[in-house]
Amino acid sequence: MMNQSFGDPDRRHFLFNSAWGFGSLALTSLLANERAAARSTSQSQQDGLPQGSVQVLHHPPRAKRVVQLFMAGAASHIDLWDHKPELEKLHGQPSDFGEKVEAFQNGLGPWMKSPFKFQRYGESGKMISEAVADLGDCVDDIAFIHNMTGKTGVHSQATYLQATGFQRPGFPGVGAWVSYALGSMNENLPTFVVLPDHRGFASNGPKNWGAAFLPTSNQGTTIFPQRDRPIDDLFPARGSFTPASQQAGLKLLEQLNRQYAEQRQGDDRLADRIRTYELAARMQLSAPEALDISDEPQHILSMYGLDRIGSQYPDDINPAEETEYFGRKCLIARRLLERGVRFVQIWSGNDNSFPRRNWDSHEDLKREHGPLARGMAKGASALIKDLKQRGLLEDTIVLWTTEFGRMPSTQGNSGRDHNPHVFTNWLCGGGIRGGVTHGESDRWGFKPLDRDQPTQVYDVHATILHLLGLDHLKLTVRHNGIDRRLTDVHGHLIDKILA
Amino acid sequence: MFPARDQDYNGANAPIGLTGKTSASSRWILVLIQTAWNPMIRLRFLVMATCLSWQSQLLAQEDSFESRVAPILKDRCLNCHNDTESKGDFSLQTSAAILDSGFVEPGKAGDSLLMEIISGVDGQAPQMPKTGPPLSQEEVQAIREWIDRGADWPASVELNPGPSANFDWWSLRPLVQPKLPEPPNDVPAGWDDNPVDLFVWQKLNEQGLTPSGETDRATLIRRLTYDLTGLPPSKSEIDKFVNDTNPNAYAQLVERLLESPRYGEHWARHWLDVVKYADTCGYDKDKLREHAWPYRDYVIRSFNEDKPYRQFLQEQVAGDLLFPGNPDGIVGLGFIAAGPWDFIGHVEVPETKIDGKVARNLDRDDMVSNTMNTFCSVTIQCARCHDHKFDPFTQEHYYGLQAVFAAVDRANRVYQIDPEVDAQRKTLTDQITDWQSRLADLEKQIHQSAGPKLVELEKKIESAPPSIKRPEFGFHSKIVSGAQETKWVEVELPEVQPIRSIILHPCHDDFAGIGAGFGFPVRFRVEVDGQTVVDRSREDFVNPGLEPVRFELETKGKTVRVVATRLAERQNDYILALAELRVEDDNQNNGARGATVRSSDSTEAAPRWRETNLVDGIWYRGDKAGLEALQQQKKTLLAERVKPELLERQEKAKARISQLETKRQQLPVGKQVYAAATHFPAEGNFKPTGGRPRLVQVLHRGNIEETGSVALPGTIPLTNEDRFQFPGDHSATESGEGQRRAVLAKWLSSEQNPLTWRSIVNRVWHYHFGKGIVDTPNDFGRMGSRPSHPELLDWLAAEFRAGGGSLKDLHRLLVTSATYRQASADRPACHDRDAQNRLLWKMDRRRLSAEEIRDTILSVAGRLDLTMGGPGFYLFELEKTEHSPHYEYHKFDHDNQATFRRSIYRFIVRSQPDPFMTTLDCADSSQSTPTRNETQTPLQALTMLNNGFNLVMSEDFAQRLRAQSDDLSTQVEAGIALAYGRAATDQELALLSAYARDHGLDNLARILFNTSEFLFID
Repeated sequence: MMNQSFGDPDRRHFLFNSAWGFGSLALTSLLANERAAARSTSQSQQDGLPQGSVQVLHHPPRAKRVVQLFMAGAASHIDLWDHKPELEKLHGQPSDFGEKVEAFQNGLGPWMKSPFKFQRYGESGKMISEAVADLGDCVDDIAFIHNMTGKTGVHSQATYLQATGFQRPGFPGVGAWVSYALGSMNENLPTFVVLPDHRGFASNGPKNWGAAFLPTSNQGTTIFPQRDRPIDDLFPARGSFTPASQQAGLKLLEQLNRQYAEQRQGDDRLADRIRTYELAARMQLSAPEALDISDEPQHILSMYGLDRIGSQYPDDINPAEETEYFGRKCLIARRLLERGVRFVQIWSGNDNSFPRRNWDSHEDLKREHGPLARGMAKGASALIKDLKQRGLLEDTIVLWTTEFGRMPSTQGNSGRDHNPHVFTNWLCGGGIRGGVTHGESDRWGFKPLDRDQPTQVYDVHATILHLLGLDHLKLTVRHNGIDRRLTDVHGHLIDKILA
Repeated sequence: MFPARDQDYNGANAPIGLTGKTSASSRWILVLIQTAWNPMIRLRFLVMATCLSWQSQLLAQEDSFESRVAPILKDRCLNCHNDTESKGDFSLQTSAAILDSGFVEPGKAGDSLLMEIISGVDGQAPQMPKTGPPLSQEEVQAIREWIDRGADWPASVELNPGPSANFDWWSLRPLVQPKLPEPPNDVPAGWDDNPVDLFVWQKLNEQGLTPSGETDRATLIRRLTYDLTGLPPSKSEIDKFVNDTNPNAYAQLVERLLESPRYGEHWARHWLDVVKYADTCGYDKDKLREHAWPYRDYVIRSFNEDKPYRQFLQEQVAGDLLFPGNPDGIVGLGFIAAGPWDFIGHVEVPETKIDGKVARNLDRDDMVSNTMNTFCSVTIQCARCHDHKFDPFTQEHYYGLQAVFAAVDRANRVYQIDPEVDAQRKTLTDQITDWQSRLADLEKQIHQSAGPKLVELEKKIESAPPSIKRPEFGFHSKIVSGAQETKWVEVELPEVQPIRSIILHPCHDDFAGIGAGFGFPVRFRVEVDGQTVVDRSREDFVNPGLEPVRFELETKGKTVRVVATRLAERQNDYILALAELRVEDDNQNNGARGATVRSSDSTEAAPRWRETNLVDGIWYRGDKAGLEALQQQKKTLLAERVKPELLERQEKAKARISQLETKRQQLPVGKQVYAAATHFPAEGNFKPTGGRPRLVQVLHRGNIEETGSVALPGTIPLTNEDRFQFPGDHSATESGEGQRRAVLAKWLSSEQNPLTWRSIVNRVWHYHFGKGIVDTPNDFGRMGSRPSHPELLDWLAAEFRAGGGSLKDLHRLLVTSATYRQASADRPACHDRDAQNRLLWKMDRRRLSAEEIRDTILSVAGRLDLTMGGPGFYLFELEKTEHSPHYEYHKFDHDNQATFRRSIYRFIVRSQPDPFMTTLDCADSSQSTPTRNETQTPLQALTMLNNGFNLVMSEDFAQRLRAQSDDLSTQVEAGIALAYGRAATDQELALLSAYARDHGLDNLARILFNTSEFLFID
């Protein structure tokens, strides 16, 4: 019976409530176990939750949780957030940057205006593109940063830089750092959850959310909501292993492990192991419930663009399909955040396979950016509004990012090449001042307006840590001779976007 | 960063420094903040500084500052607190700067905040230095006296941040074997023999600790078998050893295990952790390295053969040069190529672009750090952006090491060739050489006839810039035998549009020596929507070469067709070919670009020939430098002055050479290994250096665009006097390249290099005892730990060096010690004094590593396939390899028997590590992993309970038990014997049998795999 689909709602409902949901009996026994465990585990665990490495926050926090929306392939700032009237005037004329420019490919064709129209929204009157019109309702909560600058136009290195703070492999993801520092708020769920694009991983794959030199427990746990088994190894997938055999088996296991530990006094790890099986059993109860959106009311589903779940879609990239996929991840993100997950990372876009399903629009910007942006904006705006109406936005940070921007000149007839010199990030939620724009790009969106004062990923990371009550200078881990920080040897708070 | 400690903030709602706390430790923070933010206060300090009378100080004290205080400041403070990088807004570079800071009250050490910071307040640890040990009492005292005497600092003296030029550090001191401690009278039995024990006992004794007794034999054999082979002993092996009365039983056991091929497999895994081995490149488009595994097998073989460490080291850095003719000399170079590599940064981006340079700089950085971390335990990578902040190594040293690797890249390299093939290759090469000399003779004669004009022309031809010819030639009809056949090709525009010009671009194809104008119709007409608008069908059209043929029109329409009424000759046959057809409107927009193409028939031979090439915007424009004209001139000259017979013979010789070369090229290549290489076929922008080192320059802040002086090949100095740059040939030539790596390999493996011997001995110790004598095995610098037993480390290192670098001798020495054979039980009295067990008053219990867990489960389930070597097996489904390979672990079939081999042989994906192994704390191949973490997490519990591998193995284990007996109780007994290597107790038997009766043996097996006893070693 275990081999049936996880995706079928009725089936799932049955499964969780009758089979793997142990019901009250199991819970009672877990609680009893916890009392027993508390006697033998270390002091830090008696308080209940697994602790982060930072026992006392560096200063009072403004936020507890983070959602990071990562647009893989490099989303164009000048076609979504950073309006450039100059390009409308210059459209079609040969591009001239007044300096030697090294394009990643050959994207130095004529200036190209955005194929999308821009319009003012909110009290702040922020101009954003029709492709992200759904976020128009949220601009007064958002702080835009238009002078982000990167170091390289190579996807892989640039993605590493935005995801881990270093442009090489081997460093922990932002979420892993946060998990390491702050620990869990709900021991029944992982601290750091990643919702990858279901079509494939972005550049670097899981290395973007790995724990690297931090303990493995801090790595992002990937969840694929559309798979039969959204979380690896949550349940056994072979017939002879049943809920009943597990329940009795865990009891037996505890007995054996306790005996072994009692014969070996003074070794906390042995008691810790016993407790990890209790927590595992709890995760089996909590995780499916957190992922099950069947009890969400219709108006919430509509808000996230999930009116037509399971529709058939055409082969060509289209907004309806993108909306369903991204919206579902956003809704699940909200459910996870509500249940105490500390850091959720949502990816839009996969690797550079064919046909293109990411933001790397070298050939035809409108073709991919249109549907991807519409889907993203619908989901992101629903997430922001939904968090807000539940009072969660005030201590949840939402960060929208990508690996770099795109050129204001044309590549081919209607594409844009990489622009590592300038791009946009935006943040909203806990501790962020809404309706503001910090930093500007130049009149074309080619480089930061003030080239000596760009914003870098270190600054964004420092600011997020700051809002979480952490000083980015103090959060260090020594590894192979260096006290490693998320912000390397850089990072300044972006005061202007703080509430 | 200047200090601010976690403890200073205790959760109240006020910012640091304004809490009203009056403790000394918070006072300086207050000052710090004010100094940083309040210009008035800054001014006050300045005024105060100038008011003080400095002139009255004695000259003698200048000496005391420079000789006593300045070195401390320079070594321990200045790297973070200087004029450029003034952390905490505090610089110690000049006397003005230090007075400006307000941290020093001249004449009053007691009132100087600096003293509180460096000496600590109320018995607390000092705040500074932030890194490394606190200042010694003598150092603090020197600074105190200096301040009390007026803090005199001559204005002429400016301290410059730079490497701590202080080579007086334990790991850099020459390696001299210390004397063995005298065994005292009260040493416990068995502790007076092995030198390891004498050193360990000495330390324990000094601290009033006592060692633990020897553990029981069953525990000992399990511990030893895992430590040496990574696998459990069988029940019969355990029983035999436990009951062996031979006094040499243990020594024999050690020998048996060291001789087992399983030993090399297990210890190779440790080595591969450190060198970052994986079977894919990492980064974006994580490509497979199909020939990485020979290096992995080489490491296994080297351990099993007990290859002298010096040779093992040399093969990995410069084996091709130091061991010519020995395949291991090339396979060993897999070391240099083991780490990550950026496909896009090398293949898709040219070396001339900034991104290309960054990629290559990072690539060399990986080679340098891999070499220095692995062999010397030096964190040289810290000197990439600035001089090393803690160890005496500069950017110049670092880039000198980059220069050593400046010519090598990572690529497949042939290491072993079939002798028969080799003989054929030799014959062919001889023939080629022979023909080449005949050709040279002929050319000499030709030159004599043609005169100096030919030399001049040839020079011009050689220096003419290469013209770019894209592979997409154009449209090409089918080939027919007569010129009179009609062929057509047409373009359907997206919509009816005004047509002002129709432009035909001729093709260029060297086929049959035709070149420009290839396939251009001899007679033709052009039609728009069926109406003829151009008619050139009445007389032959002069072949245009590469000149576009342009027709100006005033019409509009949707379909433009070219009809050839007389075809162009190819080679005794006829075709129609066109490179591009353009249709322009009033604004010269080409409506045909990307439009639909149809034809009477087409030779579809992508990428060169296909219908769509007619509208792809690509056509050959010829070369403006006139290469073809030059060649024509040459042809004419030769025809005029040289005998045709001579030219004919020249052509024949050339043809013969090219034939022979093709034949040689087609010979099978030998076995290949992914390794450091200077000669390999180019792929995109990734081109071999041919052995000519790239220019390496010192980079300011590590920024590729801020280049400084040229870096000469060299290494780190070990003393103040060391010449760190290599002597000899620095030329950017192939021999220069070879010499660079060879010199480095010899330096690394030199008897005089104290780091190398200490480093390897410490690593081996670490894997036997759970932590190194230095517990930062990759860092023996000031940021690393200090040795817990420095004399022991030096004794072992010197012994190992003198003994020829035999790792097996070292294992013997360590595992036969009483220290190693101690019990692992906790002893509260000792625990209280040394909770970390740094002094080894017991053995540490450990959890099995990821590989040990997987291998043990396979072994216990009776499925372990001990086949050695060869390409790695996949634990995932591999998809979409043509672009970005997908490694789909969740689609893998765990019943696949081809994967029931030891984990060392699995195919390791860098960007997508195996989730099962990762959850069990497996090493991350993106970084050097000298020590593994050991975690206990709920996800681990879920993995051990539910992972497909564990479930399949549970079923197989159960099947194995069922095959042994029909009786449940016997089956359970056998299960415990296999899983734990011991007999079951009655209580266990009852408990486990009851569970197996209710839920089956499969489930019992699953639970056994999850028990602590299965997963831990005492």
